[in-house]
Amino acid sequence: MKNLFLPLLLATILIFSACKKDDPVIVDEEELITTLRYTLTPATGGSAIILSFQDLDGDGGNAPTITGGTLAANQTYSGTLELLNETESPAESITEEIMEEQEEHQFFFQSTISDLTVAYNDRDANGDPLGLSSTLTTGSAASGALTIVLRHEPNKSAAGVADGNIASAGGETDIEVTFPIDVQ
Amino acid sequence: MYNKHFLFFLFLFAVCQSNAQSCTFSIKGNVFDEVSETPLPYVNVFIQEMAKGTNTDEEGNFVLEHICKGEYHLIFSHIGCAEKKIHLDLERDTVINMVLSHTSTSLGTVVIEGKKENLTNHPNLSVNRQTIEDNTNQNLSGLLENETGVHLLKNGSGIAKPIVHGLFGNRLTILNNGIAQSGQQWGNDHSPEIDPFAADKIIVLKGANAVEYGGGNLGSIILVEPKPIEREPHLHGQVNYVFETNGRGHSINTRLEKYSPALAWRINGTLKKYGDRRTAAYFLNNTGIEEANLAVQLEKSWRERVFFNFYASTFNTTLGVLRGSHIGNLTDLEQALVNETPFFTEPEFSYAIDSPKQHVSHHLVKSQLKYFIDDHQIVEFVVAGQLNNRKEFDVRRSGRTDIPALSLAQYTFDSSLKYTNNFGHHWNFKLGTQNIVTDNTNNPETGILPLIPDYISWKSGLFSTLSKEYDKTHFNIGLRYDYEYQNVATISNSVPREIVRFTNQFHNISGLFAAKFNITNTQSISLNTGYAMRNPAINELYSSGLHQGVSGIEEGDVNLVTEAALKNTLEYKWLPNTDFSISALFYHQHFNNYIFLNPQEEFRLTIRGAFPVFNYEQTDANIYGLDISTQFTIKNKIFALLRYSYLKGEDIKNNIPLVFMPPNSFFGSIVYRVKNPVTFSHNIKIEETEIELNNRLVFEQKNILATQDFLPPPPTYNLTGVKISTNFIFSKYKIRGFFKADNVFNIRYRDYLNRQRYFADDIGLSMTLGVNFKF
Repeated sequence: MKNLFLPLLLATILIFSACKKDDPVIVDEEELITTLRYTLTPATGGSAIILSFQDLDGDGGNAPTITGGTLAANQTYSGTLELLNETESPAESITEEIMEEQEEHQFFFQSTISDLTVAYNDRDANGDPLGLSSTLTTGSAASGALTIVLRHEPNKSAAGVADGNIASAGGETDIEVTFPIDVQ
Repeated sequence: MYNKHFLFFLFLFAVCQSNAQSCTFSIKGNVFDEVSETPLPYVNVFIQEMAKGTNTDEEGNFVLEHICKGEYHLIFSHIGCAEKKIHLDLERDTVINMVLSHTSTSLGTVVIEGKKENLTNHPNLSVNRQTIEDNTNQNLSGLLENETGVHLLKNGSGIAKPIVHGLFGNRLTILNNGIAQSGQQWGNDHSPEIDPFAADKIIVLKGANAVEYGGGNLGSIILVEPKPIEREPHLHGQVNYVFETNGRGHSINTRLEKYSPALAWRINGTLKKYGDRRTAAYFLNNTGIEEANLAVQLEKSWRERVFFNFYASTFNTTLGVLRGSHIGNLTDLEQALVNETPFFTEPEFSYAIDSPKQHVSHHLVKSQLKYFIDDHQIVEFVVAGQLNNRKEFDVRRSGRTDIPALSLAQYTFDSSLKYTNNFGHHWNFKLGTQNIVTDNTNNPETGILPLIPDYISWKSGLFSTLSKEYDKTHFNIGLRYDYEYQNVATISNSVPREIVRFTNQFHNISGLFAAKFNITNTQSISLNTGYAMRNPAINELYSSGLHQGVSGIEEGDVNLVTEAALKNTLEYKWLPNTDFSISALFYHQHFNNYIFLNPQEEFRLTIRGAFPVFNYEQTDANIYGLDISTQFTIKNKIFALLRYSYLKGEDIKNNIPLVFMPPNSFFGSIVYRVKNPVTFSHNIKIEETEIELNNRLVFEQKNILATQDFLPPPPTYNLTGVKISTNFIFSKYKIRGFFKADNVFNIRYRDYLNRQRYFADDIGLSMTLGVNFKF
């Protein structure tokens, strides 16, 4: 019987002292990507156009803010992608993480405007496309959408993937954002 | 205590003659069936030490002669029965009358510390030790798969949780050793962390809830019970080893036990290692399993009045999750749905387990003290602690793959006090109280906002039952009250993140009425009515965020109210003789405020793309069904079994089907037993050889709308299996060996309740070879 006193005592302590849960630790969401910026600088000079997607509170909460852009017809832009975690202060660059794991990542660009094309302007250590740096070329005036996808662990050697065709890339999507685009 | 009864039995029937000479003794007796109380012919009676045996005749009688004075172990085995072993100190001619129970027709008496606790009023089924040993490669859920009314909710081949009459997770209580299994039971992709090989019997109580057991159950209960340590002075043990071709899996289980008046002990250990499983066409990469479990049981009694029982177990597993099932967003899911083979499928087999994976440890410590005040009154005190540690790993960026994406520690502390009084003429009264404290904490190491918040819950219950046995009627009534207090600390969805606290209090009442009428000696009807309330669980109230496993955003609702269920069951049994039995169980359960995950029409836009949103909502629902089971024996050589389960779930408010309801299924098996032993030489022979052919037919789930799921339910499939088992007798020892083949035609199929069906086929042909050695 004696060996039951300890558990009984423990039980009593647990029951009467543990009615309030301690404050949880609010985690540092280091991995979170809140912001994607696609900066398009015209080859002929002039001010850059910035397409941006910003969702400061992550998956839940408020809806993201999406800023599209107006591009000039028959123009070539050099594109740079920047990824940020703005819940940190100062904002943490996720672009660096992607650079560090470049063989395991690839961006894909899909446009509903048929003569708007995006070509890769960078390569990973294996010589496969990455997409942080790109060249965007517009054709005639049109309206549509540009979707940027970041795949983690895609099969970069699958058919068409090197040319930016996502269909057989596999892997999992880390980013998928769509911007409204006007070509004038 | 169990043996105390048995010894009493022995004395009652033993005819003692003094005989001074050795090797002239005889052991005689009669074996009969527990249920029908008719003699059992062709029961094998085997003296282990002499490797000598005989069969009972048509009247169930047996005689073993020319036996020397000494200590022996007698094994009684019969087709379709659980084997029984007894210890005998032979000093004179002895008569033994033995009762065997047919496993499936058994009315399910659970032996807890020797007192038979009668569960006859509750429809139930049980899995015996032999089945457990022959399925050393299975997990707890897998052992129940072929039973009527039981289905599995799977996440690949290694992760499965049982569903009984359509209820699982938060609605189904699993009692391991009398203690409600704690842990993250809400997760559809979380297996119960129990090693079934530490158990001797697994019982599913399918009736309305037994009020004695807390835990928020709304109906059925699964009991995982080890048996008391045999009162016998020698060291006994067993070793089971099983190799399975599919997954190249090795499972080994060892058990040792010894009784002495000072202390009786039993140790049980299991080790398991599996690699990638294979479908009919390709490997399922990253589906390996590693498992290591240990259980220790200690028993001590003082003057047959005070019984102390200590049980400690540790369960540790690493489970790989199919790499191709880990996807990013809705676009990825749509892509996966049209793919013939999952992404990341490799042509080579591997034992490696990478992310995504789950690592789960569950530890249990339990002490039980039982005091027999007198012949009628018992007081029982139980304390138990559990620690459940769950870490889930995802494929992440920047070396974070080694950091869990979900990391939860849950401590549970149980204490209960129960008083039992057997009074008057077959009256039984019980009064008890129970406290359960649960403390759930997220480890912030994940770097991800938790899906389930930190909380403490405190639950206190009070129950009472009364039962009475008349000649032909048994009845049982019970009432239970539970109070639950929850203190929850959530983290806000909006920035800046802050802590939002909730406190909840719930008052739940449950009640039970059960009755059994023996219409004739061979027919009975059981009626069971139960009302139970279940307050919303933490995940249903507060979950918030992306549930990676289901690729959806799950939103709890803090305004959910308590759910209530009324379950009625009606069971008819007919056992005209030991060769035939049939039982039919009809059940109907009505729910008010049934909590379920409702897919929303909107998609939530995130930086990772669009995700479907599922909200916890409430409705009124009905679940009803029929379980039919029949078995027959032909000339004691052929034993056949047929089982059919029908189930339907309806949301009666919205007039649509309920999702995740088990499809109808049929199971049949036929066993041929080779009656005569085959002798190779004077000390090697084989006996009790059995050849089994079985078939499981699972129908397409037609009771679902196309809008309720990403994919329509898979078509009907049929799996065929064979099994050959035999016993090798080498002088003193008996070794059981078996060979099994499942899905022998290597068909490709997907199961509606396997959540991996969106990505991959279910497993193909698998062959299993097992040996069991007992001493």
